[in-house]
Amino acid sequence: MKLDLDQLRELIRLLDESGLTEIEVEHDDDRIRVRREPAPIVSAATAASLTPGAPGAGPLPAEAGTSEEAGTYVTSPFVGTFYRSPSPESDPFVEVGDVIRPGQVLCIVEAMKLMNEIEAEVEGTIAEVLVENGKPVEYGDRLFRIETA
Amino acid sequence: MFEKVLIANRGEIALRVIRSCRERGLRTVAVHSDIDADALHTRLADEAVCIGPADPSRSYLHIPAIIAAAEITRADAIHPGYGFLSENPEFAETCAQCGLEFIGPLPEQMRQWGDKVRARSLAKSLGLPIIEGSGLIEDLEDAVKKAEGLGYPVLLKASGGGGGRGMQILHSREELRAGFETARAESRAAFGSDALYFEKYLDRPRHIEFQVLGDKRGNVQVLGERECSIQRRHQKILEEAPSVALSEEQRGDMSATIRRAMGEVGYLSAGTLEFLLDDRGRLTFLEMNPRIQVEHPVTELVMGIDLVGEQIRIAEGEALRLPEHPLSPRGHAIECRINAEDPETFTPSPGVITELHMAGGTGVRVDSGVYGGGRVPPHYDPLVAKLIVHAPTRAEAIAKMRRALSETIIAGIRTNIPLHQRILAHPAFGEGRVSTRFLDEL
Repeated sequence: MKLDLDQLRELIRLLDESGLTEIEVEHDDDRIRVRREPAPIVSAATAASLTPGAPGAGPLPAEAGTSEEAGTYVTSPFVGTFYRSPSPESDPFVEVGDVIRPGQVLCIVEAMKLMNEIEAEVEGTIAEVLVENGKPVEYGDRLFRIETA
Repeated sequence: MFEKVLIANRGEIALRVIRSCRERGLRTVAVHSDIDADALHTRLADEAVCIGPADPSRSYLHIPAIIAAAEITRADAIHPGYGFLSENPEFAETCAQCGLEFIGPLPEQMRQWGDKVRARSLAKSLGLPIIEGSGLIEDLEDAVKKAEGLGYPVLLKASGGGGGRGMQILHSREELRAGFETARAESRAAFGSDALYFEKYLDRPRHIEFQVLGDKRGNVQVLGERECSIQRRHQKILEEAPSVALSEEQRGDMSATIRRAMGEVGYLSAGTLEFLLDDRGRLTFLEMNPRIQVEHPVTELVMGIDLVGEQIRIAEGEALRLPEHPLSPRGHAIECRINAEDPETFTPSPGVITELHMAGGTGVRVDSGVYGGGRVPPHYDPLVAKLIVHAPTRAEAIAKMRRALSETIIAGIRTNIPLHQRILAHPAFGEGRVSTRFLDEL
């Protein structure tokens, strides 16, 4: 098998899209192996509710939970308005320093008048609240930094 | 008057809408998926909102995300472009419920024309010539009977299909018996309905379509025709206006018929009625596209109009500007759709554009959504740019397009520019002898 750049590109693309960490192709005596380091995917939050009627409505894991040295980020799975408490009069769901458990509600992202509760997926401590109450957030915006044990 | 318009689309059409908005003094909001964070529409709009991941069903097709983006940016209108949610009546209804003006036809009009069997009977009742065909097919035995009534070959079509999707040519009873249940299952899977019907199959028709605009006061304008016969697997590749196959009289007659018909249904905003033209010069209605179309610029050039700008004016409640009727095209325009694809195999060729130089000069227009160093993602339509030329005659337009293509450089990805050059250099194309089979026979 002649090493064909296009084929190699195709393999890399396949690797990217599939989420696999390694692909090996063997043909006669030739062998190509494409490999990468596993991406540090940390699912950090689950939306407890989703707009009813939306296709595939149901719990949705937060999208881009990324792990960095300092901890884990909870990112917004929706575009909408960020609220730290269930109503203007009530206390915030969480404050900096709070210890959180998976399934605990961290905030609300409101879209189309529907309150989508965002739940923690990991155990840890709230290290930082990154968005001000009542501000718009986009898909993928970082909402909280969490220090995991 | 609107203040801020959200564009629920990407690529060249998002830019096209941003441009008309900006010229009208309107602010713009782009929505984008995470992989489109650096896309040109995202960069060119006044504001941009990330609405979801690359998968269109969770971003550009996700109604709640788009409405939420309009809410947080306080947009007052949404332009859907083409494709994605542009023909989705639920989206148009949701916009209305959320106090957002949908720049396009009424939801009921999308439903009327979206269902092909319903559209055929509506067109017929409005006095438009329709191609011979059947009503809904009940079962295989009914199909055999109906096909024999029409005479083979017949076209088996999905009522929920459109844009060339969900149809097949059948030459005999055996082919029909062999393919019917599969076609039914495919239609169910692709369009959520297994409603099928027949149309008489025309061997080498031309594809001719008429542009219409209607306002909220019941005025309708017909803006001539486009010829879109150069297609590959029912996808248009190159379009022109006017068509060499229509006489002034035929154009005028059909324009008047369409104007009356669309006036009767109170058609709102931009729409296109597609026809087939057979070898005896008869036009028969195929389908109605209730949206702006990819190839709208050729009409803009020969009619001297900004169709997207008119859509916005109409949505704001303004009356159509009505010059004398019928309108006559001025000169000749051609559009080449430049796709990121292998010109031989037609497989998509996404990737990073390492170098980009688009053509210029008199009578050359470029509608593109890419830039040098930018990425063409694999998740979406492969259309990277539309090259459009306008010249006094068809021959001059062809020469201009060949010149413009020759100075266009798009490196890093493969494009169908060589295919366009082959089409334009072909003697039959030069003589205007084309049909929807042209590319198959090239």
